[in-house]
Amino acid sequence: MAIFNLKKREIECKVVYYGPGRCGKTTNLEYVFKSYKKQVTGEMVSINTEGDRTLFFDFLPIGLGKIKGCDIRVQLYTVPGQVKYSSTRKLVLRGVDGIVFVADSLEVRREKNMISLKDLQSNLKEYGKSIFKVPLIMQYNKRDLADEGIPLMSIEQMERDLNRQLKVPSFPGSAMKGTGVGVTLKACLMETLKSLQREFKWAK
Amino acid sequence: MDISLQIKSLLNEAELYRAQGLFPEAKDKYHAASAMIHKIDKLKNKDSLLKAISGKIQSLEKKTEKVETGPTSPELSEKGQNLIKSLFGENDLQKAVALAKFGQFERAITELEALLKDDVYRVDAGKNIIRCKMAIASVDDAIDQYHQWLSGDLFTGHQLESIRAYLQPIIDRKGIDKSLPVPVGERDEINAADSGGIEFSMPEPEEEILDITSIGITFTSGTFKGKMVEFDVNFQSGGMLSLIISKNDKTLIDELKNGDSLDDIQFYSPIAMFKGTAVVANKTQINSGPKQGDFCLDLKIKST
Repeated sequence: MAIFNLKKREIECKVVYYGPGRCGKTTNLEYVFKSYKKQVTGEMVSINTEGDRTLFFDFLPIGLGKIKGCDIRVQLYTVPGQVKYSSTRKLVLRGVDGIVFVADSLEVRREKNMISLKDLQSNLKEYGKSIFKVPLIMQYNKRDLADEGIPLMSIEQMERDLNRQLKVPSFPGSAMKGTGVGVTLKACLMETLKSLQREFKWAK
Repeated sequence: MDISLQIKSLLNEAELYRAQGLFPEAKDKYHAASAMIHKIDKLKNKDSLLKAISGKIQSLEKKTEKVETGPTSPELSEKGQNLIKSLFGENDLQKAVALAKFGQFERAITELEALLKDDVYRVDAGKNIIRCKMAIASVDDAIDQYHQWLSGDLFTGHQLESIRAYLQPIIDRKGIDKSLPVPVGERDEINAADSGGIEFSMPEPEEEILDITSIGITFTSGTFKGKMVEFDVNFQSGGMLSLIISKNDKTLIDELKNGDSLDDIQFYSPIAMFKGTAVVANKTQINSGPKQGDFCLDLKIKST
């Protein structure tokens, strides 16, 4: 849940990168940290990883400056993707204001994407939120692997699998190369701020 | 596609999945490549190729095992734990609980123990210490902790009863045949009397009442007229009995109002059964904790 400090005209909100294990959530955040120095307001913290798997979460604070007279601060988080870290995912999701769902374009990960999206829906439901109402953006990651001759799902297929009912904005991406990372985050922040505007009417 | 190209493609895929950390997917591709190689009779270096693939599969199996059997919540550095506290908790209790939720039980216990000194947090801190002990040690450790508190003077009887009411159902659910002793009396009152402060006229000592384990109330009016419903007694202080009644029995509890006289009660104690009367002294709905939504009914025994 965003914190709105009326006196200081400050909003602090929370965006979570969700998705199956190894889909590229941490890579997205690392790219944001490297490439948006002006917006980054603190260190990126990756809390303990096994090999390079996220066991707890990654955290990156950014600031968007003043928008309509309000100072906007955003906390970016990733969740651990592996199925066994279900309780940690739920903890990190608490109070979320906007979500980037990072889907893996590899054909062999088709089912994992769907399981993870279902898991997101169920965790949101436990916090009394609907996946249809929460600001949500899809990123179809690892598009660059097509060049390596690896079977990828088509964007159309991924839309059918994951976005047929949700109909949320979606972007192809390659977090390793930085493609689509900025546009995904920007879209998520816009949706999130629109939603917070409806709630707090802060831009009046 | 030429079979050698197919094999090459499978190995290429397997290698990429391995590099991506997708171990099961990589293993599947190595197995598929291996099966294909087996079918070719006149392949140069067939044995060495199969051996190399087998080595890759073994290596993947080791990595998979390491990932799957690794601790879900390893102990973090102090810096990591401090970050969890600052990001996931607003007050001291929430910060300590956040540590426990992220599996940082040792540090959580240290912080919760410090909160036991604070009257506002004492009961919740106690319950969370119990929870941590069960997570890192065993139910027996949690029971020992309860006994330790019972023999000390940190908690009032009422506070300790709240912890007992939290722990006992957990013990029961685990099928452990242990009954936690109910704290006797409210230590606050004893302390106040001993402190040399204001003195009130003491009520006449009450007639000694046996420990009552359960009661049967026969309703004399309303929807349940003529029916006897049995309840376990969760707490007893002299002639005052506290019962926890499930929210599922709301229709029943709605029949009972503060001040109602219950003229037909069967009392059950370990050594005797007897009839008597009581008055509904208080009826409240529990707002938090594992019994949230259930009702606490206090009955004052009038006569036995």
